[in-house]
Amino acid sequence: MSDTESLEGWVPAIGHGVTLEEVVERAFDYRGNVTVVKADGTRLEGYVFNRNRDVAVPFVQVFDRAGAGPLDIPYADIRTILFTGKDTAAGNSYAAWLRAKEASQQRLGTPLPPGA
Amino acid sequence: MSVPLSQMWAVASYVIRQRLAGRTRYPLVLMLEPLFRCNLACAGCGKIQYPAQILKKHLTVEQCLGAVDECGAPVVSIPGGEPLMYPEIGRLVSELVARKKYVYLCTNALLLKERLTAGVFEPSKYLSFSIHMDGLRAEHDEAVCREGVYDEAVEAIREALRRGFRVTTNTTLFDGANPLRTREFFDAMMDLGVEGMMISPGYSYAKAPDQEHFLRRQRANELFSRILADPKRRWKFNQSPLFLQFLMGTRDFECTPWGNPTYNIFGWQRPCYLLQEGYAATFKELLETTRWERYGKKSGNEKCRDCMVHCGYEPTAVNHTFASWRGFRDTVTATVTGRL
Ligand code: SF4
Ligand code: SF4
Repeated sequence: MSDTESLEGWVPAIGHGVTLEEVVERAFDYRGNVTVVKADGTRLEGYVFNRNRDVAVPFVQVFDRAGAGPLDIPYADIRTILFTGKDTAAGNSYAAWLRAKEASQQRLGTPLPPGA
Repeated sequence: MSVPLSQMWAVASYVIRQRLAGRTRYPLVLMLEPLFRCNLACAGCGKIQYPAQILKKHLTVEQCLGAVDECGAPVVSIPGGEPLMYPEIGRLVSELVARKKYVYLCTNALLLKERLTAGVFEPSKYLSFSIHMDGLRAEHDEAVCREGVYDEAVEAIREALRRGFRVTTNTTLFDGANPLRTREFFDAMMDLGVEGMMISPGYSYAKAPDQEHFLRRQRANELFSRILADPKRRWKFNQSPLFLQFLMGTRDFECTPWGNPTYNIFGWQRPCYLLQEGYAATFKELLETTRWERYGKKSGNEKCRDCMVHCGYEPTAVNHTFASWRGFRDTVTATVTGRL
């Protein structure tokens, strides 16, 4: 992904060029709420803050919209994840900021009046 | 160096105990983040970009103390978010002081004067306010995206010193920083009377060919060599002189990511304070299940290639001090002579 591209609004269809594992990874990196659509059709809106694939029953961990949790959801119970919430990091990537910061420090490299 | 003797001794005896016990991975500083909320919105800050329900959450004091006891590090750093917005910051700090932990409360200082006036804290050798200062007025206000913050922080530093608190500063320097202005900034902080300063390069991560990584490190070494060349005797740094030598490129270290473990509302962060690659439920799980070989310069991990940040390399410097007579001698020499 580029610095500025956001997944906000993404509705991935698992199996159509994207795996559940890939979608979970993206949801884990996403700085906004998502909607987890479970295999039984129920939905949970919240923030995916963790996932663990290196265990017998891989799971994701979520704080729901009200902040309750952590709620553990096995991968096997997930049909897909929708990127429904606002991406709080959109347009504000670290790489973009670092470039701006280095440019501004170079600008400040020119002499300033004493006490500035 | 300005770290008080009692603190040096606490860290030294802890490291020696770990080594005698045959432990190869042990923490030195717990990075305890009770909340992500902040009263500033500095551009590029990765700590505050969360949905509202996450920003509203915070750890309980009991959760914080559980993490402190579990990890056992002699030093606890409380960054954030802004820890002075944590409703129970007074109780948390007094509990940590009662446990004889050396606490660095890292704050942008906007609320410090008010909290001091309200009597939230008691001066103690165990408590130091570590004030975020990214340079003189122009640089700092630009870094935090708000005018007037430098002046408010200076006023808060004066007030804290007047009330008998330990005060240090923490400064992040990026490629392009002006060495002369940075040296003037060190003078200004020492004039204020702070106990010591902590500096670190900012974290940088770029997918790039080997040559570009090498150049970035070389530029960082040049910057710190110019800033710290012929250091003034009056400059006091609240960190290992070996780490400063590493920044200047006169010493090479590998990262010790487990040295400064991070605990927050999500759990124990893997693998370090900078990267969020997952969370463990317990400190033991963090130590035992993190694939440490994937991190640090030698691993070839792109995210670690340019990193020279204090949370990964200062623990290496401290360990190096106690790993050999040579490391110990070098630290003592730099501390006594003030030469880097
Ligand atoms: S003061 Fe610190 S935590 Fe707050 S926005 Fe700035 S960098 Fe982030
Ligand atoms: S090199 Fe830097 S980014 Fe990599 S693990 Fe160490 S501290 Fe973290």
